[in-house]
Amino acid sequence: MGQILGDQQETNVAPEPTEAPPEVTVNRARSRGGSGAGGGGGGGGGGGNGSGPEQNGQPPAARPARVVEAEEDEDEELTLKYGAKHVIMLFVPVTLCMVVVVATIKSVSFYTQNDGQRLHSSTESPQLHPERYATIMITVIIVMTLVLVLLYKYRCYKVIQGWLFLSSLLLLFFFSYIYLKEVFKTYNLAMDYFTLAIIIWNFGVVGMMCIHWKGPLRLQQAYLIMISALMALVFIKYLPEWTAWLILAVISVYDLLAVLCPKGPLRILVETAQERNEPIFPALIYSSTMVWLVNMADTDRPKRNSTEAASPQQEAPEAVASPAPSSLSQDDGGFSPSWVNQQQHQLGPLQSTEQTRREIQEMPSARPPVEDDDEERGVKLGLGDFIFYSMLVGKASATASGDWNTTLACFVAILIGLCLTLLLLAIFKKALPALPISIFFGLVFYFATDNLPLRPA
Amino acid sequence: VYFIFFPGGFAFLPFLWLVNVVWFFREAFIKPAYTEQLQIKTYVKRSAVGLLLWVAVLTTWISIFQHFRAEWGAVGDYLSFTIPLGIP
Repeated sequence: MGQILGDQQETNVAPEPTEAPPEVTVNRARSRGGSGAGGGGGGGGGGGNGSGPEQNGQPPAARPARVVEAEEDEDEELTLKYGAKHVIMLFVPVTLCMVVVVATIKSVSFYTQNDGQRLHSSTESPQLHPERYATIMITVIIVMTLVLVLLYKYRCYKVIQGWLFLSSLLLLFFFSYIYLKEVFKTYNLAMDYFTLAIIIWNFGVVGMMCIHWKGPLRLQQAYLIMISALMALVFIKYLPEWTAWLILAVISVYDLLAVLCPKGPLRILVETAQERNEPIFPALIYSSTMVWLVNMADTDRPKRNSTEAASPQQEAPEAVASPAPSSLSQDDGGFSPSWVNQQQHQLGPLQSTEQTRREIQEMPSARPPVEDDDEERGVKLGLGDFIFYSMLVGKASATASGDWNTTLACFVAILIGLCLTLLLLAIFKKALPALPISIFFGLVFYFATDNLPLRPA
Repeated sequence: VYFIFFPGGFAFLPFLWLVNVVWFFREAFIKPAYTEQLQIKTYVKRSAVGLLLWVAVLTTWISIFQHFRAEWGAVGDYLSFTIPLGIP
């Protein structure tokens, strides 16, 4: 599939402020942003625009439409090749994230303790109406998505960016502090405040820089994985049993609807972004290759690999698909939960809202025309997807009776779902929700494996 | 970028210096020369120096701390993650 999707855009997920009724301390609202479906634009180039990889970044109109059978075959090959490579590129981070979450759950007992229950009103029974909590959260998510769309429509970019910034700040500092604390407790290590402060400070500041500004690609990816894992851990800890499963299911459905329905808020977001021909605010997505534009390169630089491709960011060359480069370079994938303070807070994190964007999107890598790299297209996956996948697997490992069997089954299920989703992405070439298939499989496998009489002795 | 990471590291951020060094190492030393390389080299070297300094300081502090923690009594409780048992 040599088709370049000219106007790839990414949308971000709506932020979700959490507002909970007093008893519920942790409300997780999620909304997803739809990503721009570049497919429509790319299709404008004509079906026969089977250009090879070099077309990457060139607007479809630049090439005459040529319908050649050989090229179509080549296109298909390229599609598959493209698909396989990107599947692997996404497998690794998703696996890493899940591994981190499962490892933490297994070793650090903090995250499976049920003091999450006391965050709900102590006078009520803990398992009261999980559906109620789920409904509340879903409502919040929907509200947040709408708010995000509105904000975007009315160009309140600063608000959104500020929000993202704050959330990632909180996540990087606060959550990692708690995480470190628990890990040290578990392993009985002594740590003084001074060293701890240095560690957290370093981690946080470098994280902020990497995510929101510039940094080495690997480091940025590592940070995104870490914060996704942290977030998933928080969710696992603070959501009561059945609420979590319900939430997963409902969110998948919502994702499906919001992205694919013509009137879905995410779709509106995407279309608005496309109309304005601009990239969405810094995305909360994970990108497998990032072409990040550094000011230091000049055109007489020798050829570099795409991870260090250089061209001044602001002058994204017109040859490159217009929104793509800036969105790529802006693409920092910061993850942001926002906190809503609650009156009767107790220890630890209270409400968090995440703003996650969950769509896979193909993006052509932005390169100045000078370079001659081979095709390196990045696939992007929203951080919310990471979080929910990890949450599913983490919860499975925490509460399953079959223990490792169930965990592995869920893990495999999610990966299969991811494969399928990527396949569909390659076929449809539109932004797709990444959650539904994987979560569906994951849930099915979990409940099936859990209830099978597979107990070791 | 490297010229921003470098002064940033002065804000108690040896990690930033580490990133600077690792990331630009190849640029500074291994690639064939180009115009800005000299500048990169200086910054990378300085970051490396700063990093080493920090590592030395931290190692010293941590060793001192871990060693003397039990003897310091109240001051040792400055930290919150004490080892609850096993110390006679």
